[in-house]
Amino acid sequence: MNPFDQFRLNITRRHFFSRTSASIGTAALASLLSRDANAAPTGGLPGLPHFAPKAKRVIYLFQHGAPSQLDLFDYKPGLAKVRGQDLPESVRMGQRLTGMTAFQANFPTAPSIFKFAQHGNSGMWLSELLPHTAKVADDLCLMKSLHTEAINHDPAVTFFQTGFQLAGRPSIGAWISYGLGSENQDLPAFVVMVSQGLGNAQALADRQWSSGFLPTKYAGVKVRAGADPVLYLSNPEGYESAARRRFLDDLGKLNDLKLKDYQDPEIATRIAQYEMAFRMQSSVPELTDLSKEPDHIFELYGPDSRKPGSYAANCILARRLAERGVRFIQLFHRGWDQHGNLPRELPKQCMQTDQPSAALIQDLKQRGMLDDTIVVWGGEFGRTVYSQGTLTEENYGRDHHPRCFSMWAAGGGFKGGFTYGGTDEFSYNITENPMEVHDLHATMLHALGVDHLRLTYKFQGRHYRLTDIHGKLVKDLLRT
Amino acid sequence: MRLTLLLSLSAFAATAAPVEFNRDVRPILSDKCFGCHGPDAATKKIPLRLDSETAAKADLGGRRAIVEGNPEASAVIQRITTDKKGLRMPPLASGHTLTGREVETLREWILQGAKWQKHWSFLTPERPVLPTVSNPSWTRNPIDRFVLARLDREGLKPSPQAAKETLLRRAALDLTGLPPSPADLDAFLADRAPNAFEKAVDRLLSSPRYGERMAIRWLDAARYADTNGYQFDGERVMWRWRDWVIDAFNRNQPFNQFVLEQIAGDLLPHPTLDQKIATGFNRNHRAHTEDGIIAEEYAVEYVVDRVETASAVFLGLTMGCGRCHNHKYDPITQKEFYQLYAYFNNIPEYGRAMKYGNSPPLVAAPTRDQQQQLSAIESRLAKLQASIDADRQATEKAQNVWERSLASSAPIHWSPTVLRDGRFDLDGGLPGHTGTPRIVDGRIGKAVAFDGKTALEMSGYGQYDIDHRFTISAWIRPDCTTCSLLSRMNDSPRGKGYGIHLKDGKIFVTMTSTWESDATKYETLEPVKQGEWLHLALAYDGSKMAAGHTLYVNGTPAKVNVIQDNLYRPFRNAGARFALPFRIGAGNGPEQMFRGLIDDVQFFSRVLPSGEVESLAVGASLNTIAAKPAAARTPAEERQIRRHFLEHAAPARTRELYAQLTALQQDKERLERTFPTVMVMEENKVRRPTHRLNRGQYDKPAETVEPGLPAILPPLPPGAPNNRLGLAQWLVHPSHPLTARVTMNRLWQNMFGAGIVKTTEDFGLQGEWPSHPELLDWLATEFIRLNWDMKAMVKTIVMSAAYQQESKASPDLLQRDPENRLLARGPRIRMPAEMVRDSALAAAGLLTEKLGGPSVKPYQPAGLWKELIMQDMDYVQSTGPDLYRRSLYTFWKRTVAPPMMANFDSALREACTVRENRTNTPLQALNMMNDVTFVEAARFIGQRMILEGGKDSDARLRHGFRLVTGRAPSPNEIAVLSENLRFHNDYFASKPERVKAYLAQGDSPSAPHLNPRELAAYGAVASLLLNLDEAITKE
Repeated sequence: MNPFDQFRLNITRRHFFSRTSASIGTAALASLLSRDANAAPTGGLPGLPHFAPKAKRVIYLFQHGAPSQLDLFDYKPGLAKVRGQDLPESVRMGQRLTGMTAFQANFPTAPSIFKFAQHGNSGMWLSELLPHTAKVADDLCLMKSLHTEAINHDPAVTFFQTGFQLAGRPSIGAWISYGLGSENQDLPAFVVMVSQGLGNAQALADRQWSSGFLPTKYAGVKVRAGADPVLYLSNPEGYESAARRRFLDDLGKLNDLKLKDYQDPEIATRIAQYEMAFRMQSSVPELTDLSKEPDHIFELYGPDSRKPGSYAANCILARRLAERGVRFIQLFHRGWDQHGNLPRELPKQCMQTDQPSAALIQDLKQRGMLDDTIVVWGGEFGRTVYSQGTLTEENYGRDHHPRCFSMWAAGGGFKGGFTYGGTDEFSYNITENPMEVHDLHATMLHALGVDHLRLTYKFQGRHYRLTDIHGKLVKDLLRT
Repeated sequence: MRLTLLLSLSAFAATAAPVEFNRDVRPILSDKCFGCHGPDAATKKIPLRLDSETAAKADLGGRRAIVEGNPEASAVIQRITTDKKGLRMPPLASGHTLTGREVETLREWILQGAKWQKHWSFLTPERPVLPTVSNPSWTRNPIDRFVLARLDREGLKPSPQAAKETLLRRAALDLTGLPPSPADLDAFLADRAPNAFEKAVDRLLSSPRYGERMAIRWLDAARYADTNGYQFDGERVMWRWRDWVIDAFNRNQPFNQFVLEQIAGDLLPHPTLDQKIATGFNRNHRAHTEDGIIAEEYAVEYVVDRVETASAVFLGLTMGCGRCHNHKYDPITQKEFYQLYAYFNNIPEYGRAMKYGNSPPLVAAPTRDQQQQLSAIESRLAKLQASIDADRQATEKAQNVWERSLASSAPIHWSPTVLRDGRFDLDGGLPGHTGTPRIVDGRIGKAVAFDGKTALEMSGYGQYDIDHRFTISAWIRPDCTTCSLLSRMNDSPRGKGYGIHLKDGKIFVTMTSTWESDATKYETLEPVKQGEWLHLALAYDGSKMAAGHTLYVNGTPAKVNVIQDNLYRPFRNAGARFALPFRIGAGNGPEQMFRGLIDDVQFFSRVLPSGEVESLAVGASLNTIAAKPAAARTPAEERQIRRHFLEHAAPARTRELYAQLTALQQDKERLERTFPTVMVMEENKVRRPTHRLNRGQYDKPAETVEPGLPAILPPLPPGAPNNRLGLAQWLVHPSHPLTARVTMNRLWQNMFGAGIVKTTEDFGLQGEWPSHPELLDWLATEFIRLNWDMKAMVKTIVMSAAYQQESKASPDLLQRDPENRLLARGPRIRMPAEMVRDSALAAAGLLTEKLGGPSVKPYQPAGLWKELIMQDMDYVQSTGPDLYRRSLYTFWKRTVAPPMMANFDSALREACTVRENRTNTPLQALNMMNDVTFVEAARFIGQRMILEGGKDSDARLRHGFRLVTGRAPSPNEIAVLSENLRFHNDYFASKPERVKAYLAQGDSPSAPHLNPRELAAYGAVASLLLNLDEAITKE
């Protein structure tokens, strides 16, 4: 007898839903059983989404290291006049500095050496380093007034990923797959890909996509370039898929004998998970095999896109994951930490990322998927207007700047050709519509049909949520 | 979910059964109401509090929230049942709603008189009376009385005792983390004695594997790891603390002492090295080394981490909520949080940690083996010294003769030879240089004159980094007040490296990786005299701290003013070479080159003791000293003339003994350099003030607070000091309501998969009601009664009939109690991560049973570190036996945890974890099927089937099955396995190249002379066995 049927004979649905969340096996089984006509269609929490969603999934293009808003998005023509002059104290207002520049004797204003121009119907200002992004300006919702509490990479990335600076809480992708489940039975709901940049890179950590105190099954699964796109996916050398099939059949028989004897539903879950593993052994290679992508797609995403593991290749993969119903797809591209040599490093970073990011939007659009996919682009904080190290004609660096920075979102209900928020003439303080990281989270969740106040998990006696005790929906960013 | 559980656990039903406040009502109030109407209500200016009986029943202007016996008059009931949107509680924005059942419970409780109870876990446990039960003959010890009484109430019966082989495997896994060997099983099955199981349990408890098994959960709780965490995540060295934990469990140290030493071992009278090592518990937290962090910010995080960890581990309380505000649920104020914080806030630490290695405070922590080697060297040194002393008269006579001969010989200048890297008398034959050094008359023979444009360069000397031990000495006669004397640093102002300079006439020492933010700098209080010779020596112990420097001026340690003391990165940072030469007469840029004379520069790669420096600073030739009458010589003079004599001129036998002595001193220094260190707790002499921090922020200090304990808990025991030691004594005081309960609950969780209080980390108001409150109290009081004897408690649990039940469930029982909270059957739970791997290695015969030592790096997919981290650190896999150590020795990198461990829900060691967590995922399936660890283990199990299982294939399969599951297979199972073996035989026979590839997995070679095809087929079947649900389940 099919173990699921057996299981259902033995125990009613009410009971395994009544088990608390620490016993995950049953939850996993519940999600598998969700093919049952009565169950929620995606295996997420009952009652979710809370209201009609605009978006079904997220592709988050995390630019790790913190790209300079001053050289990419936040156009400050007035800085040329004050080039080299110390940043006025009236602007800095005692803002805390990192230990790297706190001892600097002066803070010379460093205007961007890159040219800006207006693009699209809205006339969005963008840097010459982003020619491809400029072409999709009318799809972008450019947010120039993000700010964060953290001034160092690790806490700042952790803050973006989990809503809290210290490690231990679930990442945004884990929250969303916990709440909304997966639309694909053969792939994980939350997938992560990491690519290496050409600029100064900072360390990243597995926990940035961990499930924190949520059950481990909601953690991001890393898809890597190479023979084993998911850890331990490939059968050992000499062991082919047909043998594995037979192996699983016999394993199933033995586990089923045990199930009959012990009645433990965990055994039924295990049988099902081995079957899912087997399906992943074909679905993941099929996913990561780009050989059937037509040439015009590679041309769209740019020259890097034929190189496995590159940001461009990962952008194509992101689209393929989105097509397969994966709920939360997150790319990390490293190398944006331009403390020095910004004029040399930043163009290289943009060369790697500008075209593929724009291509992803175009590609989703031509497939009719941009409307229900949120694409987010951004780093963990901004960079300072004053130069770290000596300012010369052709060189400068920028330190970490948490007080204001820019990100963009596209699709999934976000307004296109729309610029939100503003900063002072030094891109140092926000002058208009400040936006916390929690606000971005709340707004993304809202687009997914989730009320950020109501997606909670009880741990250590407290009802936690992604937005901690903060977060407000920024309705202005969303189409009505 | 919560309600269903409560109902299934409690006798309560919505009819007129008595409602119990602690069990039925408080959980609702706490979860749904206290967020606003709780201990923190005042700060929100909310008048009504429901966490206190007085407040909840008080007259609030004619209305009362709770009117005893009258639900309809109670405002609480009105507000939770009203249809008016604006009045309805809980408000929509809170995200909470009350179920109909919860409303009924509250109504019924008020109807029954609204009786209040103090929260159970804050009351000292009293030894409960053993309940009467339906079937006393089933019970083996008091545990069973409580379990059976509960089953009686539920109308359930216990399950039969598990089969002997199941029982032994269960106990072996629980007590040692490893499955029983076939020999163990045979012996146990053959033992018909009534106490056969007890004997087996005693044997397991005395195995060194017991300490390892108990230690790993303690490592989870103590957030042990081999790296610092956060951004750079460099390596640290804490395994000596891990060794201490394993050893403490193995020697069954009473748990109260175990706690006492870990919290305050350093404050005990005359603490032993072990007691200091134990305090590493409070240093296992993450430490941030990122360039540019604000040190004060992280100094706060470390202390908060200590409070949160101690709260979860010992108190079962979520004290961390008190960091930013009064606790929302538990009666703990923010001030009380900072009072607890104050106990842990008095150690000499710095918020930015060392980039590589341990951060102070730390101690050298030689292993037992190293301690033995050291004492062997020391006793040989003493013997040699005694032998030399024994010949004193003869030696002295010979020395007198020799001293007289010195009058006519060339001048000799003494210098110690042990680990001397070089001595430059600067009398001529100069090394590479810039400018034109002149040789002039010097302090000893000739010296070099520097004119502000001259420097000597020596590329082979002084190549020390910040973690090296060294001494540099020289004679100096300065004719400049701000200039560099000796250095190895970039030739630019404020460069990287180390140097001895003059600044405004004072001696100024720098050791810098980044001049402004990563440096040690200090200067003497007094300026030195210009134009006069002085002897300088800098002795440094490699600690990266100003306190590790001794600067001698003319043989005496100089008083210094420390300017900066936050050095944390080596000069060779990030694998970069730091290849600068040592320079005499320069440093800190071309503007600061030296003017004056320098003579006799010496390098030692050890810390010279003060006596030797003093002798060096004498600066007179031995000939001159010899000319003085003995009584007129200073001790420093006497010392060096004697040393030189012993080294060069003494009678052959004495010279030989002395040579042995110096060689041995060298060995001792070398041995000491291999000692691992461990980060420990230490108390500041002057207490660092602790402030309440507004909203928990490091830069928002409010009023100062003194160390103190939450008012809801008992006060310090009489006579206990109000410091960490007193805190530790308080924690393990027999009347403490929490420590013993929380500890026994965790032990229960280890064995049964869930605690009696399922929220292991939370015994507060939001914690779950215990499934067997009296049992928990019995265990806690028994633990204390037996002087906190952990092995005794483990044994008590294992010997209970409740533990020994079989773990099969009937469909009916599964429906009644899916989580087995009532214990009508034995535990059946998936093994924790480390046990999954260790069991496979044990079954394969690959496991290396070595106790303790540094962490090892078993198989891990290539590139995992490299993809995420900086500076090309990559995972260098261990080889040989170190590939097969138990998993608690696996190197734990916080930012990239061992993937197999993470897949199987291991604690991630970022922060304290006490609750066990088990998921069941496809990634685990892939891991078991394809990870080389398990493929190789399967090959070795296959090999054991062939070599040990007999000739017959069924017998071999039975052997393999038993190796993995600890039991004999049923005929049905054998039938499936035989078919599977046949399949794999054919599979490998049909394409022989598959065999070679399949058998090539893993580093360990198979036994010779086996038929490869057969081995591959058995290996594949063994892999099937390892993938059975049963193989990774304790049942």
